[in-house]
Amino acid sequence: MITNDVQMTFFGLILDHGPIKLVDKCIGSRIHIIMKNDKEIVGTLLGFDDFVNMLLEDVTEYETTPEGRRITRLDQILLNGNNITMLVPGGDMPE
Amino acid sequence: MADELDVIPSITVKEPLDLVRLSLDEKIYVKMRNDRELKGRLHAYDQHMNMILSDVEETITTVEIDEETYEEVYKSTKRNIPMLFVRGDGVILVSPPIRTS
Amino acid sequence: MSRKEALSTFIQQIHSRPVVVKLNSGVDYRGVLACLDGYMNIALEQTEEYVNGQLKNKFGDAFIRGNNVLYISTQKRRF
Repeated sequence: MITNDVQMTFFGLILDHGPIKLVDKCIGSRIHIIMKNDKEIVGTLLGFDDFVNMLLEDVTEYETTPEGRRITRLDQILLNGNNITMLVPGGDMPE
Repeated sequence: MADELDVIPSITVKEPLDLVRLSLDEKIYVKMRNDRELKGRLHAYDQHMNMILSDVEETITTVEIDEETYEEVYKSTKRNIPMLFVRGDGVILVSPPIRTS
Repeated sequence: MSRKEALSTFIQQIHSRPVVVKLNSGVDYRGVLACLDGYMNIALEQTEEYVNGQLKNKFGDAFIRGNNVLYISTQKRRF
């Protein structure tokens, strides 16, 4: 089927050039992750899966609380992909 | 079923839900969203963590700000429910009673 | 799919190790990781519950429903 071929090609293009490819390029470098609920995480990306759950190293977690910004440093984390909204490659925290 | 409950959990817990399976017919503690806590006997559960509990004590914790002192006042209200269906999506944590041995 | 391997290695490594599980609500659970599934449901042993950094509760065993989990971290913490 032609349509099937087209679909396959399209799918291939997404894998090769799509958003996930960009995340793949970030492996081994610093990445800045913005979560749904006022949390931001910066770390070195070691790997990720199909759900964009991420393994990060040398992590700094920034939380905005009523008492002000709280910073937590962590060694390695397995981050649940469920609440990620945005990824900024090469990022350390702006400001 | 009764035999299974006597097995040491660290041996039989292969996946997280096994921990819940081992708590069947036992009094468990459930932490829910919306600052609710439940203590009751676990009769049934499924993969979503929908549960049937009996002899439940529900504790609801609310925080109010005192209008004059601006202090946070924690109030906990308790009530007893003979039989309860718990929808799984509200569940945060389930803990079986502490085992001796 | 080499990018996935790092995750599976980490998951194998943390088995029976002390971990910190942080929930989206901000509550931390510290304990020994008994097991983990694909939904990030977690079974913890010797669990301690910390709210705003303060110990609030202790559980022998605890099942944590995966949808609440923000991350699982190795316990080494540096401030």
